[in-house]
Amino acid sequence: MVNGYAPKTLQEALEIRAHEKVIPYAGGTDLMVQNPKNAIYLFLNKIDELKEIKDDGEYIRIGAGVTFTQAIASDLVPQLMKEAVSRIAAPAIRNAGTFGGNLGNSSDKADSVLVEFAMDGCVRLVSVNGERVIPVEEFFIKRRENNLRDDELIAEILLPKAKCSMPYYYKKVGGRNALAISRIAFAGTYLVKDGVIEDISAAVIGGAAKFQRFKDIEKMLIGKTVGELKANIDEYVKLYSEKYIFTRGRVSAEYRRTVCMNLTKDFLNTII
Amino acid sequence: MKAISQSIRKKDHDPKIEGRSRYLADYNFTDSGKEILCGKLLRSRYAKAKVLSVKLPELPEGYLYVDRGDIPGDNNVNIVLDDTPVFARETVEYIGEPIGMLVGADEKEVERLLGEIEVEYEELEPVTDLRKADHAFFNYEFGHGDVEKAFAEADKVYEEEFRTGYQEQAYLEVQGMMAEPEEDGKMYVHGSLQCPYYVHGALARALGTGPDGIHIFQDVTGGGFGGKEDYPSILGCQVAVAAHKAQAPVRCVFDRREDMEFTPKRHPSICKYKMAVKDGRVTAVDCDVIFDAGAYSTLSAVVLQRGIIAAPGVYDIPNVHVTGRALKTNTVPCGAYRGFGAPQTFFAVETMMNHIAQDMGEDTIRFKEKHLVKQGDKTSTNGKYHFPVPLPAMLDEVDGLAQLRKKHEEYSKPQTGRCRRGMGLSVYFHGAGFTGSGERDIIKATAKLHKYADGTVEVLASNADIGQGVRTTFPKIVAHELNLPVEKVYYNHPDTARVPDSGPTVASRSLMTVGELLRRAAIKLRDIWVEGEEQEVEEHYKEPDFMIPFYLDRFEGDAYPTYAWGVNAVEVEVDTYTGLAKILGAYASFDVGTPVDYNIVMGQMDGGFLQGLGYASIEKMDYDSKGRIRNNSFTDYLIPTALDVPNLKVTLHVEEYPDGPYGAKGAGELPLVGAAPAYVEAIEQAIGRKLNHAPFNAEDVIAALEEK
Ligand SMILES: Cc1cc2nc3c(=O)[nH]c(=O)nc-3n(C[C@H](O)[C@H](O)[C@H](O)COP(=O)(O)OP(=O)(O)OC[C@H]3O[C@@H](n4cnc5c(N)ncnc54)[C@H](O)[C@@H]3O)c2cc1C
Repeated sequence: MVNGYAPKTLQEALEIRAHEKVIPYAGGTDLMVQNPKNAIYLFLNKIDELKEIKDDGEYIRIGAGVTFTQAIASDLVPQLMKEAVSRIAAPAIRNAGTFGGNLGNSSDKADSVLVEFAMDGCVRLVSVNGERVIPVEEFFIKRRENNLRDDELIAEILLPKAKCSMPYYYKKVGGRNALAISRIAFAGTYLVKDGVIEDISAAVIGGAAKFQRFKDIEKMLIGKTVGELKANIDEYVKLYSEKYIFTRGRVSAEYRRTVCMNLTKDFLNTII
Repeated sequence: MKAISQSIRKKDHDPKIEGRSRYLADYNFTDSGKEILCGKLLRSRYAKAKVLSVKLPELPEGYLYVDRGDIPGDNNVNIVLDDTPVFARETVEYIGEPIGMLVGADEKEVERLLGEIEVEYEELEPVTDLRKADHAFFNYEFGHGDVEKAFAEADKVYEEEFRTGYQEQAYLEVQGMMAEPEEDGKMYVHGSLQCPYYVHGALARALGTGPDGIHIFQDVTGGGFGGKEDYPSILGCQVAVAAHKAQAPVRCVFDRREDMEFTPKRHPSICKYKMAVKDGRVTAVDCDVIFDAGAYSTLSAVVLQRGIIAAPGVYDIPNVHVTGRALKTNTVPCGAYRGFGAPQTFFAVETMMNHIAQDMGEDTIRFKEKHLVKQGDKTSTNGKYHFPVPLPAMLDEVDGLAQLRKKHEEYSKPQTGRCRRGMGLSVYFHGAGFTGSGERDIIKATAKLHKYADGTVEVLASNADIGQGVRTTFPKIVAHELNLPVEKVYYNHPDTARVPDSGPTVASRSLMTVGELLRRAAIKLRDIWVEGEEQEVEEHYKEPDFMIPFYLDRFEGDAYPTYAWGVNAVEVEVDTYTGLAKILGAYASFDVGTPVDYNIVMGQMDGGFLQGLGYASIEKMDYDSKGRIRNNSFTDYLIPTALDVPNLKVTLHVEEYPDGPYGAKGAGELPLVGAAPAYVEAIEQAIGRKLNHAPFNAEDVIAALEEK
């Protein structure tokens, strides 16, 4: 028996959330597998407000209840995000799985969350007491741990438009072509104007229970010319190599390291 | 195409597509309306330990526990050597070995109570490294010619070791069996299985009833691939012992993890090969084959026999020496899986031939071609290839499909880009039917046809349709000979109370051997046919006259009456940054004789080939130093998905076998056997490294590239 509530508005949902210990349930693709005992669910799939994709001029806003299939068909969702979510699982899972669920599940292998890290994405969290917008990298602490409060729901993912239009780099490495969890994934964006690197960001999935992004290296690169990057590319690759942490999981740490360094170098080479 | 090859709709098509087929887990009650108790196994937590005590929680009414003390007959499951216990003896020999079974009405409650059982163990030192295993369940040796002399006279001697891993059958339906005590005191056992009479034999021994005290029925079975050859005998005995004690129906259906971790899979292997080359030709082969049998011998004897007989490959090598051992480790017993020992040795011999050719600066394809056996040549066991060997023509067919020779040549040049390509080839056989004289001396198959007064005809045989289509092809053969529409002939799932023993559903034998019995029976029936009368005819297996008798003690004679042949080519593109290999195309010519239904045979060819590609690439499973298998779910044991299915181009080459129905010979296993060597050679070409193990996955590619 599954117990729960199926509110039609966000307000209703927040009221329930404020007063009872419920588990938010979006597409259920993680929850059905986890199948927590004696759960009381707050079903979110009837709430239309959570299913919108909007452009507010500064951000592309993706509702927590937007499915991956919906995002892939949208004109607003940036190409990098589309590419990443189109490699999630298989059509059945993409038809049900949502952005809110991907982030809410707090997995360090979540493919859409990687892109949010790489793009300086933010999350809008709401409760009966109001709302807060925080960077995704603040929200996600580590595997199985996030900053969601007991009375809150994830309402939207915000992707800065400036990043949305930049050239990007993406590669997911799984164990096979479909239904494969990322063993390594790499997402990056960059902007070069008149031979000068104006912006760069990159994040990886590689174990270590988190997404890894190194803003200090990015800061060093910003303002450099493409020529300078080219001349010193091995040193930058080395900087990354010293920072990345790789852990053993379904594949060895050595495999993760080699592949990730190959992709990092390939990314930097793309910029040149 | 012959008329018999024209495809018809499979007899099990509609009920399966419409969801009407009843699998074991679908029974709400028994057919006699009784409630079904749920049985769950208490499993060993250690790879080797003495079981000092089992402390049960207080069991509610209607719940009970059984173990070896409750076995009415004796505690040995009849397989080959009968060393597998129904329930563990004083010591447990692998993680997951069944110690006992807890039975009761409510599954959740049974699970809860199972968790409360306290088992006290005294841990013993397990063997969990095949290289350190020293107990050989089976130890074979054979050969011919003078290997020592050939090595002494050789221009060059090559030595190499090859390894292959586990492969899990990953059938759709997990293992499950049910036992029902009947009014007349008989035990009725049924479930998901391949070999009703194997289960029958095992039950007679475990229950001590003799053959008449039991009968076995095959439920609709969602795939077997060999995995349900021996295992249902073990699980069948366990549920029957429980049902006997409870005097109520007991069913045990595994969950996927249980099935993956604790039921038989393909034997991991280590093959050491030594070959002598003189004047550009291989003059001798000496190989030592080791299979990891696991904790009990189950089917390892016969798997090993098939493996070592194939060890010299399809090559005419005058001097042969082969040793083979199935070694005991404290791990789950390995068993049957499509190919039955041959995928391991063909991987080794094919790769060995490639490496020798490369070292000699010869093209690997041409090198293999010049060594191919032909009709009239001796087999590895001093038998004879009685029929034409169509491999040269099949190679040309595959060349046409794959541009094999051109691409193989092109990709053999050093490559430098990020993505690199390779093309690999394998050439092999699969011995059709049982190894040796088993068919004549042990199985002695009998099949019957029963004609009813209304003119419908029922096939009575014990072969299980496990998806491969015998419920369709058997009636097709009979209808063909009787000139009846195929709707008038039917073949139900077998019940040993009703059908004779036509042998197990194994060794690619059903259609070739039993199909031929049925064809002959149909001719008999046609000759005595009387309209409106009920009639029955029977046929018995007879060994073909041409066969050179096989002696297992010496490995001498015809191990098989004939062979199915395969030529495979696989083309890959490897991303050297990630190690991921994309299969650009997989091409094959298969000779299984006349297809008795084209679609059914092509389904077998495509499916088997794909399973072989999984075995070659991503299907990785291993045990750790404690003897535990961690890849026990579909998240951790990856099999190909629809998106991993390459462009499969398969063609049939028909070399008719005169003693098979309409020229048919063994088909089921062949397509899996040669995929791994072809795939690994393709990877070798792409990355320019010499490789010697399968599966070879992305991680292996990166590791090989990192090696200087
Ligand atoms: C076979 C399979 C393959 C998969 N492959 C991939 C893959 O390749 N890549 C990948 O990233 N993921 C994969 N997943 C995981 C899963 O599909 C994704 O994480 C998906 O995004 C989850 O979304 P959902 O809507 O189904 O979440 P749900 O299962 O409904 O919820 C997941 C978690 O998020 C919480 N949650 C959901 N919505 C909200 C909200 N609005 N506010 C607060 N908390 C919320 C829930 O309480 C729960 O803890 C796979 C899953 C399966 C079953």
